[in-house]
Amino acid sequence: MALLELRGVDAFYGRIQALRGVSIDVGQGEVVALIGSNGAGKTTTLRTISGLMHPTTGTISFNDRDITRVGPDKIVGLGICQSPEGRRLFPRMSVNDNLMMGAFTRTDRPGIASDIERVFVLFPRLRERRNQIAGTLSGGEQQMLAMGRALMARPKLLMLDEPSLGLAPILVETIFSIVREINSQGTPVLLVEQNAHKALEVAHRAYVLETGVIVQTGTGKELLESADVQKAYLGM
Amino acid sequence: MSVGDFGFFVICLTAIVLLAAQAVVHPSEFAQILVFGLADGAIYALVALGYTMVYGIIELINFAHGDVFTLGAYVAAAVMGFFAGTSEDTFSVSNLVALLVTFPAAMLLMGAVNITIERVAYRPLRNAPRLAPLITAIGMSFLLEGIMFVWSGPFTVHVPDLLPHGPGFNTTIGGVFIEFKDVFVVVAAAILVSLLAVFINRSKLGKAMRATAQDRDASQLMGININRTIAATFFIGALLAGAGGVIWGLYFNAITYNLGFRTGLVAFTSAVFGGIGNIPGAALGGMVIGLTAAFSDAYIGSKWTQVVIFGILIGVLVFRPTGLLGMRVPEK
Repeated sequence: MALLELRGVDAFYGRIQALRGVSIDVGQGEVVALIGSNGAGKTTTLRTISGLMHPTTGTISFNDRDITRVGPDKIVGLGICQSPEGRRLFPRMSVNDNLMMGAFTRTDRPGIASDIERVFVLFPRLRERRNQIAGTLSGGEQQMLAMGRALMARPKLLMLDEPSLGLAPILVETIFSIVREINSQGTPVLLVEQNAHKALEVAHRAYVLETGVIVQTGTGKELLESADVQKAYLGM
Repeated sequence: MSVGDFGFFVICLTAIVLLAAQAVVHPSEFAQILVFGLADGAIYALVALGYTMVYGIIELINFAHGDVFTLGAYVAAAVMGFFAGTSEDTFSVSNLVALLVTFPAAMLLMGAVNITIERVAYRPLRNAPRLAPLITAIGMSFLLEGIMFVWSGPFTVHVPDLLPHGPGFNTTIGGVFIEFKDVFVVVAAAILVSLLAVFINRSKLGKAMRATAQDRDASQLMGININRTIAATFFIGALLAGAGGVIWGLYFNAITYNLGFRTGLVAFTSAVFGGIGNIPGAALGGMVIGLTAAFSDAYIGSKWTQVVIFGILIGVLVFRPTGLLGMRVPEK
């Protein structure tokens, strides 16, 4: 039984259907990528898993527990954390305070302190800027902070929405190598990306989403070599 | 510095220079007005905080807030009536007991009222167009005024003068007459504002409130229950408004059912002046508007005071919409 299971999930924005029968698995220790073009429903999938919106039909379960109708704050408590699209930092709080907000559901002070240290080891830039106001950070630093903040809850599943969006190529490399590192430390990752090439390189398995429907699935390597994926997403 | 900032700066500087001239020519008169202004300003600050906290977290101007303040004063008058042995002539232990019960009673009751208002009139409209909850807020304002009207009629209601007063509880320093209640109002407000500041900055709920004000979705992704956080904001805002109502009653000893309309607008102006959504700004704005009102009463004439205050509101909105302490931090 997979850690996270979506089965036949439909989701709507008002009358517009954004997801049609989406079924996804994320297993222990995996990096799973969700690729697709703008408006395919990638972010909607993550919002639905996080409980920011609920499926009209279908089920979501996590750790064998049905979380289809569970609210977003409870889902964080269960161990699913998201670094959302557009980073969504608290712009008027310092780097340190943003990280502390990531640990909002936790009460173990020593554990929180050691996790902040762990984030600073992953992202040395954040240590240098720990007292800076988040709104004044560069795009790359903001992305690092968003990922660090999500890690602060000690997630059992980390979801990253477009972590490479708008970053310089060198930073994109950094971000993906950190995704690998986070995963090698034992955290499963569900990765949403438009940069399909990078995402498929990192991912163990991947799903291709088109207008709310899963059209293809396989290992990262299989999809990298698939003619359809190459044509549609890899510009080959 | 933009043209708007420059205009704002020039107007503030002119006002300060004119007042300083008065302070030099008639120092004791000036100081006396200052005392009145500080007392008024302290109450406006308490009410303004509720406006600014609610605006900060859900971008709603809670027009019912001024009436929650008034209802606090009505409840205070009623609660004080339950106590036998209180006296308006001499301060007794009964007075102290009555005060110690009245404050928490009025504050907690107003907290409950404001939570109820949020639950029935604002939460169902949270994702509706901005205008919709604004209109239900005005509706709630009329409803509360109606309740007070039915309860006590259109006439002025007397609030017992339970604070120590009379000989022994006032003093004249350098020609300035200061009563115990003047000091009481300012000290009580300062204590409440300090407690609020500590709460917002240190407590878990305070952090949740600040986070929710900055990004509601992101806060949910941190594990914050935003419904509870927003309800808590209304509760705390109403605690302060309720306390403000009791203090107003004790200070002026007279209230009417529609007191909240004008006081609410003045407090709202204070919040805008300080920078709506900014908590220290609301406290500062309340003091500045209270002082402005007192100086205007004395030097321009009380019939012009409302013109002055709402002129300030227009001026701030035109020249410096972010207010005195409004922040301009990039959001991206």
